[in-house]
Amino acid sequence: MADLRYAYYPGCASQEITKEANEVTRKVAERLGIELHDMPGANCCGAGLITDYNYELSLALNARIFAQAEGMGMDIMTICSTCLMVMSTANRDLKKDPELLRRINALLSDAGLTYRGTVKVKQLLWVLAQDYGLERLKKAVTRPLDRLNIAPFYGCHSLRPSSALGFDDPQRPWSLEAVIKTLGAQAVEYTGKTKCCGFQADLVALDTAVGMTGMRLLSAKESSATCMVTPCPFCHINLDNYQGMAEKKISKKIDVPVFHLSQIVGLAMGMTPVELGLSRHLVSAEKILTGY
Amino acid sequence: MVIHDVIVIGAGLAGMRAAVEAAREGLNVAVVSKVHPVRSHSVAAQGGINAALKETDSWEDHMFDTVKGSDYLADEDAVEVLCREAPADIMELERMGAVFSRDDAGKIAQRPFGGAGYPRTCYLADRTGHGLIHVMYEQLAKKNVYLYDEWHVVEIVVEDKSVRGVIALELLTGKLHRLHSKAVVIATGGYGRLFNTTTNALSSTGDGMALALRAGAPLMDMEFVQFHPTTLKRTGILMTEGARGEGGYLINKDGERFMKRYAPKTLELASRDVISRAEQREIEEGRGVDGCVLLDLRHLGEEKINERLPQIRELSINFAGKDPVREPVPVKPGAHYSMGGIWTDVDGKTPVSGLFAAGECACLSVHGANRLGGNSLLETIVFGRRAGSAAAGFSFENKLRVFPEDALKDTARGIALILNRAEGESASGILKEARDAVEGHCWVFRTEAGLKQGLLEIRKLKERYEGVCVTDRGDGFNTELVTALEAGYILELSEVMLLSALNRTESRGSHFRTDFPERNDREWLKHTLIYKKDGGYDIRYRDVVMTKFKPEERKY
Amino acid sequence: MKTKFKIRRSDPLKAEPYWQAYSVEVKEGMTVLDALLKISEGDDPTLSFRRSCRSAICGSCALTINGFPKLACSTQILPIAKETREVTVEPLSNHQVIKDLVVDFTPFWNKMEKVTPFLLPADETRKEWVIKKEDEKAIDRAQKCIMCGSCNAVCNSLDVDPNFIGPAASAKAWRFVGDVREGHRKKRLERLSGEHGVWDCVRCVHCTEYCPKDAAPLEAIERLRAKAIEEGVVENPGAKHVLSLVDSIKRVGRLDEAAMTFKTLGFLRSLGMIPFGLKMEIHGKLPHPIIFLAIEGMKEVKKIYSAVEKRRKKG
Ligand SMILES: Cc1cc2nc3c(=O)[nH]c(=O)nc-3n(C[C@H](O)[C@H](O)[C@H](O)COP(=O)(O)OP(=O)(O)OC[C@H]3O[C@@H](n4cnc5c(N)ncnc54)[C@H](O)[C@@H]3O)c2cc1C
Ligand code: SF4
Ligand code: SF4
Ligand code: FES
Repeated sequence: MADLRYAYYPGCASQEITKEANEVTRKVAERLGIELHDMPGANCCGAGLITDYNYELSLALNARIFAQAEGMGMDIMTICSTCLMVMSTANRDLKKDPELLRRINALLSDAGLTYRGTVKVKQLLWVLAQDYGLERLKKAVTRPLDRLNIAPFYGCHSLRPSSALGFDDPQRPWSLEAVIKTLGAQAVEYTGKTKCCGFQADLVALDTAVGMTGMRLLSAKESSATCMVTPCPFCHINLDNYQGMAEKKISKKIDVPVFHLSQIVGLAMGMTPVELGLSRHLVSAEKILTGY
Repeated sequence: MVIHDVIVIGAGLAGMRAAVEAAREGLNVAVVSKVHPVRSHSVAAQGGINAALKETDSWEDHMFDTVKGSDYLADEDAVEVLCREAPADIMELERMGAVFSRDDAGKIAQRPFGGAGYPRTCYLADRTGHGLIHVMYEQLAKKNVYLYDEWHVVEIVVEDKSVRGVIALELLTGKLHRLHSKAVVIATGGYGRLFNTTTNALSSTGDGMALALRAGAPLMDMEFVQFHPTTLKRTGILMTEGARGEGGYLINKDGERFMKRYAPKTLELASRDVISRAEQREIEEGRGVDGCVLLDLRHLGEEKINERLPQIRELSINFAGKDPVREPVPVKPGAHYSMGGIWTDVDGKTPVSGLFAAGECACLSVHGANRLGGNSLLETIVFGRRAGSAAAGFSFENKLRVFPEDALKDTARGIALILNRAEGESASGILKEARDAVEGHCWVFRTEAGLKQGLLEIRKLKERYEGVCVTDRGDGFNTELVTALEAGYILELSEVMLLSALNRTESRGSHFRTDFPERNDREWLKHTLIYKKDGGYDIRYRDVVMTKFKPEERKY
Repeated sequence: MKTKFKIRRSDPLKAEPYWQAYSVEVKEGMTVLDALLKISEGDDPTLSFRRSCRSAICGSCALTINGFPKLACSTQILPIAKETREVTVEPLSNHQVIKDLVVDFTPFWNKMEKVTPFLLPADETRKEWVIKKEDEKAIDRAQKCIMCGSCNAVCNSLDVDPNFIGPAASAKAWRFVGDVREGHRKKRLERLSGEHGVWDCVRCVHCTEYCPKDAAPLEAIERLRAKAIEEGVVENPGAKHVLSLVDSIKRVGRLDEAAMTFKTLGFLRSLGMIPFGLKMEIHGKLPHPIIFLAIEGMKEVKKIYSAVEKRRKKG
């Protein structure tokens, strides 16, 4: 099997608020033998907000990131679903429409850059489920998570718009469940798994946002999940950091610890809670992890 | 009881255009429609709408093409109004908000259409009807027209040959309501659903024509129904001419391009009625495939199909489960457009005082024996506007007259009879037989024996309909009751159509009598008019209005 | 092939909705609407559902089919039956049920009315407008909408806030705001930027994913937001938030959380909108607002910004 190398794009959130996701991803990748190459010059993808300002600016900023990866001769791997969605959408539009690509390259020309349209954008979940492969992942498991009932939380941007992402099935997704099962845990089926965590409205319509967060967590809990995993740091912010507020909003106790994808992989590979940076989470996972 | 100045029945393009015009005069206008306006059949029109906009074109040329296309059965005074007023109406649609597709200079683009000597069809991408219906619905909101949406009109109330309003069934609650008005405009669309195989929406059941007939207005030229040669098997969904325009073949079960035997020069691009008859002959003579012929696009290749005919591909996959890139698509003729309808003058006036009609349910006639593509949307706009304005004028000049005491009671009794009948036949069973009879005997080819047989069958079904019953006895959204009511209209119109077709002993435009295969101008340059009379029908005739052109052979 | 249909039924007079199963003989080419018609014309005439064009253009027949909104008339049965063995049919979610598969569309139409759904031309007297192809294209996608309600049915914001203007009406709004002939653009944008307006969308992408006509309501929302900012309608948390990221990337190439939150929240605070809990939490988890490290190659980013600015000025 060819060695796996990616231009690594953790995304802004995982460099600050959810730094644990970035740190654990690096450790896990190293152990699995996935090469992650830093992109010190990569800018923010815009998180969709730049699209709300000027679509061409959004395309140009993303094309700059792609041009860098093209220069490195690698595809991009991110650990943020929103980055994945924003970059994939931009990439789809640029690849589909040569005239648009030309217009955007004209904007890059002052900066001495061009994007040729050859890069692919992936996220850790896809890399594990496909490029690395589940069988190989299974071999890396030293401590199966057989006591965990995990609710897979896809949220929005790892599935939609499928016309840009084109990996998993937005109606009946399988990849997160497949990884969970490979790690030896049970994947819980529940209604909220492909819905929105609320993050994008946190600073604009907080009530709406936390209401959503609460509904997702509650539906997982009611389907007997003991914890949740998400491939997206933004979802994590709402599901974990805002869980307290969500409990107040829906007047129900939830108390469901939420993991980053990399953390459950690390856990199954024998990493300790300290190595996994779990102390940075607001909802403690201690009670479900006794013995790990 | 609610009172309005003008009530419009039907919220397709014609109905909404009429309402908007009447409201413009400051009147209290209401639209009653059994489906929400944007769900009306008009939404499905794809191709476009005709108008002589360019300097190198003229309304006279448009008029000539229309009259010739009609096989000289159109009334030239009406066609003149249609073609003269078309350009201003198109511009008006743009001011309302429509964005017709543009040419490179940013002006309204026009494309060629069958039977026209000049590219004069304006379009909104491949969804002209959809674009226009949404614009007209916007205008309805702007003009504050009152909308009774999902209200099914069950009776047009007339006393002393003057209209008093309508009675409608509110679907949501099952309640009957009286709507009192000075004028009523009928705009309920066509009767494609008299047939099994039709391009028309499920709601095109001809209600308004049957109601008008019962209210004393005559129906005209009901024997004329245009058949479209390429409709999907089973659903009748339209595959546009574009498929053949881009080079698609029609083949029979032996893989033969049979059109070379029927129209050696024009082949698949011959006129609609010629191709429909050729297909029907192939099918009847055993060279069809499961009641169809095949539309073969495979030789065009995936790339060209995706680029030029994406909609055709999508429709075939979604509605017939066939991918034209890989396999031929079964198609057959389907009933497409109702030339016949409620007889009106150029202002939409019927012989009943205060009763107007416009759109596909009306017959002036601008289409005669065969309609040209792009002229029917135009008719809805031009004559919708004129009928709206005339109805408004009528309301200004006349006082509100009494709504007859017993009208509601009588109607309610009729409906209660259906709802309360303990046992009987289902409407859908009767409908199915009726459509089989009509399709079997009043299709692309017609004969005296067949038409008589058809009449016999329909009359028997009409008797059986007296015992129709429903299993759904609920009030809210009782779609079964609606089907039962529609079955009544369909039986009535089927009989009228068969009668008209039986009497017309010639072949003209869409009406083809195997036993009288020639056009007969000496005896048949006239319109069929049917009145309801003492439980039966009274058939009369009216000469075609000719002002400019002399009938010649229709050859393309 | 015999296929099992499980249909969610309700009768306003009976208390609880219930599932009813039917077995339908499915032939090649049959759609879900065909099956429903077959059931109502044979087995069970009491089953209610809306239909009209049966060709995916009138918007009557959007239903929840195997869990997601689809047009019954353009959904082939065989491919889904092969995958899931049975077909479940329910009314659209986020809508009140009237009977069986029929839902109340009144709120849907009311939302449409809220966006003043007609053109208000800048010049009422102009006879013919020259409209460039790109102007036509700008609103072409939004105009494909058939008002089927699928997007509103899956909209995550609407689910928690029924007053949210929603994706369908937003697409409609963009159809006018984006029209070169429109004369009241700014007024419209001010209203759309208000409470329950376009900034309440959480970008869950459900609307665009499930729209059967590729009308891309989310794209319309993004364009409305961008146009609002362009027209100077920025005194609201959403626009402030966007502007602060635009500024942050321009300065350091990435999201400077401390500065950004400060800006957006500063604005919210001035409106008295941040609850106490959030304040605490944000303070607890934010990095110290020390000097934020810029990415490498900031010169390039700045050049891109100015190139975009230049193009925008040129129009
Ligand atoms: C597939 C297809 C494509 C076409 N393409 C073209 C084209 O490209 N160009 C062209 O010129 N023409 C085209 N036509 C023809 C054209 O679309 C129609 O002739 C035209 O739209 C009819 O409009 P209308 O307003 O008269 O009626 P409709 O649009 O049929 O509206 C009828 C209205 O009446 C209401 N109604 C009916 N009965 C009742 C009742 N009992 N109570 C209350 N309301 C009732 C309905 O709810 C509806 O609102 C096409 C037709 C088809 C089938
Ligand atoms: S993207 Fe926005 S408008 Fe669309 S469904 Fe999600 S929240 Fe609703
Ligand atoms: S935007 Fe799409 S999903 Fe929403 S109502 Fe319109 S057509 Fe339906
Ligand atoms: S019946 Fe019109 S969209 Fe399905």
